[in-house]
Amino acid sequence: MIEFTDELQSAGRPIWEAQLRHPFVKGIGDGTLDEERFKNWVLQDYLYLKEFARVFAWAVAKSGRLDSMAWYAAVLDMTLNKEMALHRQYAGRFGLTANDLERAPMWPTTRAYTDFLIRTAADGDMADLVAALLPCAWGYVHLARELSKDRPPKDQRYADWIAQYASDEFAEAAAWLRGEMNWLAEGLPPEKKNKLIHLFVLSSTYEYQFWDMCWNGEGWPADW
Amino acid sequence: MSFCQEQLARVKPVWDVMLDHRFLKETREGTIPNETFANWMQQDYLFVEAAIPFIAALIPKAPLNHRAPLGQVIPAFEKELELFRERAQTAGVDLTQVPPSFTNHSYMQFLLASAYTKSYAEAYTVLYVAEKAYYDSWMVVRAGIDQGSIWFPFVENWTSEAFAGWVHYLEAELDALAEGVGADERGRMAELFELTAKYELAFWEMAASGGGWPGMEGDAK
Repeated sequence: MIEFTDELQSAGRPIWEAQLRHPFVKGIGDGTLDEERFKNWVLQDYLYLKEFARVFAWAVAKSGRLDSMAWYAAVLDMTLNKEMALHRQYAGRFGLTANDLERAPMWPTTRAYTDFLIRTAADGDMADLVAALLPCAWGYVHLARELSKDRPPKDQRYADWIAQYASDEFAEAAAWLRGEMNWLAEGLPPEKKNKLIHLFVLSSTYEYQFWDMCWNGEGWPADW
Repeated sequence: MSFCQEQLARVKPVWDVMLDHRFLKETREGTIPNETFANWMQQDYLFVEAAIPFIAALIPKAPLNHRAPLGQVIPAFEKELELFRERAQTAGVDLTQVPPSFTNHSYMQFLLASAYTKSYAEAYTVLYVAEKAYYDSWMVVRAGIDQGSIWFPFVENWTSEAFAGWVHYLEAELDALAEGVGADERGRMAELFELTAKYELAFWEMAASGGGWPGMEGDAK
């Protein structure tokens, strides 16, 4: 049986494949990624996570099922109290302090992506919210598992990055969200499903751009 | 010095680049290519559409004396959309089926996210800066555009006495709001002031140079 998440994956496939071909992602996989470029990711992803957590708070508020509320609340707690601490620890392996993370300016793509997620969480329904969330949660697992098919990179920091996002813990979280998406999409009319596909593709596009931003660096016009 | 004057002085480098933008100069001089102006029309039409829910989301947070003025903005925006449709028909510009550019999409999400997650004074800062930027920008165009230009109705719209009065009102109200908040919130208002000014500049740049989604050309789309 074709599930709705299969339709989403099919719509997002060209962008997901482009992510795998992106030099930033390839560079993590083979360990050749320049450390300075990767630091961009460490800094911007920290800022992203802070806003990402807010989206889970919206999900707790909007979810209609108690077990779903509990799951979103648990992810919110894990993001704020565990993942961000791990991120600070991991940043230290690149010489970045907690202060560096807190003081980093949010670049335009991070700003746009997180504002998009928050706006969707605020004015959309639960199906909209999950469709917009999925490309991050599911996409990282997908990319990391693809990368882990090759030999791990020699740089242990990149190998650990791949291992973390390819882990069963992350994969199970992504699978839960896919189940939630399929449940939420049951019986929806085609127009609504098309909107969800649009949101999924848009978030996937932002995921691609996030790699691109970290690869090229970014700034605001007329920075002074 | 009032909050707005203080912040306008602080963001002057961005403001100056914005007012000196080639899009404004070429529109004023009548040398702007039709397709460039059409690009702005298509994108700004989408932006005005998004500005309506932005205003609507501010109303529940607004003090009582702000509700009626904000409520009146919504029909004013609807009237602006009508102006776009009328000009589009005259100029043969298609406003339908146009996807937002990256800059426009980002700015619209910023607008809505500000309304949903920021304090009233912070979100009101975004509103003021966006309106002030348009007033100042179109005044640059007004100072020389041929009044018979097909684009002149847009200039009239954002340089009218009514619009000037609205911007003046917003400035006075924002100054009053800034007086009533603590240092932290005032700091966040200043950040949003700067960010909105940068988005306004980025919008003219996007209008002038076209603008899809960076990094995606020739890949994935």
